[in-house]
Amino acid sequence: MTADLPVHLSPPLLSIRKVRRRFLLGETTIDALNSVSLDIHEGEFLAVWGPSGSGKSTLMNIIGLIDAPTDGEVHFDAQDTRVLDDDELTEFRSKKIGFVFQNFNLVPVLSALENVMLPLQIQGEAEQSARERAAAALVDVGLERFKDSLPDKLSGGQRQRVAIARALVVNPRLVIADEPTANLDSENSRMVVELMREMNRARKVTFVFTTHDQRLLDHVDRKILLRDGNIVSDEVMA
Amino acid sequence: MKNTFKLALRGLMRNRRRSLVTLLAIAFGFAAISLFAGYTHNVYGGLARQSIHGEMLGHLTLSKSGMRKEGKLNPERYLLSATEVASIGKLIQDEAHVELVAPRLALSGLVSNGRASTIFIAEGIAPEAVVKLRSGGLTDAERKSGMFENMKMRLDPKRPDVVSLSEGLAEMLHLEVGGQAVVLVNTLTGQANALDITLGQSFNTGNAGSNDKFAFVALDLARTLLDAEGRADRLTILLDDANNTEMMRDRLLAKLKAAGFDVEIMTWQELSDFYTQVHGMFDMIFGFIFSIVLTVVIMSVANSMGMTVIERTREIGTLRAIGLKRSGVVRLFTMESMLLTLIGCILGLLITVGVRWGINAAEISYIPPNSAGRVPLLIDMDTGRIMFTFVLMGAVGTLAAYMPARRAAKKDIIDALGHV
Repeated sequence: MTADLPVHLSPPLLSIRKVRRRFLLGETTIDALNSVSLDIHEGEFLAVWGPSGSGKSTLMNIIGLIDAPTDGEVHFDAQDTRVLDDDELTEFRSKKIGFVFQNFNLVPVLSALENVMLPLQIQGEAEQSARERAAAALVDVGLERFKDSLPDKLSGGQRQRVAIARALVVNPRLVIADEPTANLDSENSRMVVELMREMNRARKVTFVFTTHDQRLLDHVDRKILLRDGNIVSDEVMA
Repeated sequence: MKNTFKLALRGLMRNRRRSLVTLLAIAFGFAAISLFAGYTHNVYGGLARQSIHGEMLGHLTLSKSGMRKEGKLNPERYLLSATEVASIGKLIQDEAHVELVAPRLALSGLVSNGRASTIFIAEGIAPEAVVKLRSGGLTDAERKSGMFENMKMRLDPKRPDVVSLSEGLAEMLHLEVGGQAVVLVNTLTGQANALDITLGQSFNTGNAGSNDKFAFVALDLARTLLDAEGRADRLTILLDDANNTEMMRDRLLAKLKAAGFDVEIMTWQELSDFYTQVHGMFDMIFGFIFSIVLTVVIMSVANSMGMTVIERTREIGTLRAIGLKRSGVVRLFTMESMLLTLIGCILGLLITVGVRWGINAAEISYIPPNSAGRVPLLIDMDTGRIMFTFVLMGAVGTLAAYMPARRAAKKDIIDALGHV
């Protein structure tokens, strides 16, 4: 019956407890995250913001299960991720998490449609079915006309929309977007955030993204301010 | 798998110049190996035909046990008797795959034109057996090129006194066709025996060392000269196919032993030292060339794939993030490398076919070492070694990408994503 509960009363989709992430840079130790604890609930549209070097990307990597904390626990969908080996973690990630990168990270030799098909085919889905689902995902982001275009023939905003379609095509529980608007002009930035918001509402997919553009924070349900690896504020918007 | 194939194929198109250079290195390497293999295959074939048919060794040579080691010191003891020649000949002739059993009798002595004398070594063989042994000695291309043309020799079945002398011997004695000379030979019991001979034809032995002393005489003449009626020092056996040589040797040995004959049978390879030596030398050169080319291919592919992996590190990070396992990354790059190698080999095969056609059509000939005549430079399609090269190059080319691919797969995703 959790579906009927308000977002913040439902069990968390992702829960991190006392997470620390330490990097060694030569002989220097850098604590990118200091004992961070956080719950993220299903359907949230959440922004993590803060100055450069505050630990935003490190937090996103840990939430996205592409990096492991030095200390602390990460539970995703009630699964303790520490017990998963690399292959299990990869499979877990491929089914439950979508990624949108700052530099789009599309495969340059594949068309928009083939890029969107990629996560499905990695999962072993048949080509025809993957093609149909990818085409539908491109329709959702308004790029059906560009399905055969290679990434270098698309504008920055279009590429990021292809990346969003790629992230959503596997019906993930969570989409991680690390600075998705950093390489876009303000108009495209607004469009991309609005698109993510629309998908969040339409599909009930949880979105977590980082930004340093405060204008985009008006669109979110919740915003978390990070500074020096610590959560300074965690604000739920009205 | 299909997706991996597609990604790998398109990956090759990404840096076309680099892929093309690597592809050409593989293709020309493959062509070099295939062409040399084809050349040696042709040489082996030519030498085999020269041994079996040209030198008339046949496929098998039967003699009394010990003949090869002791026969020259005590020829009479190791000669087959007339009864043995007939009985053994019949037992062999009854076997399948046997086309001819020819008694042979070697002799040596002096030959004189009345003004000068010189030594000679001769083989006594029935004229009909010569015709049979010499048939099938050349391929169409070799016949067309005139190879072994000067090796032709003929004995007259109706005139035992007609002999064939090697060109050098005939020249030394100033003998023309139809010219007469006298041969002087010791009989088996040590008596001097001289007979008149007539030069039927001169021939080239194909070997500079023997071209001034070798002769072929009719078996009847040899027997008369040696006073060895019905006898032979060996039997030359011609089979329907050289591939049956070993099998027939074993079978005949067993059959003759069961019949109470103590004989030894040698194959043509065992008797032809020249063939064995040339084969060994070419095999060694082939191995040397093969190793060099393989090293070049490994270095080219490993270098190309190493650079590719570095350039695409961020892409690897992305693929890993969206669900590609480490094994999938290794598979992707090894597939790319395998495709590169296979396309290179196919291109190399096409180059081989083209160059082979050109060389064979050019009708080039040359004089090989220790040869008295020109032989055509021909290149065969050595399917066995081409297949071997194809498979080995494919495997090695694929493995060459394994190390860089594994290194890429092991990289942390966040490091790969942050790679510039």
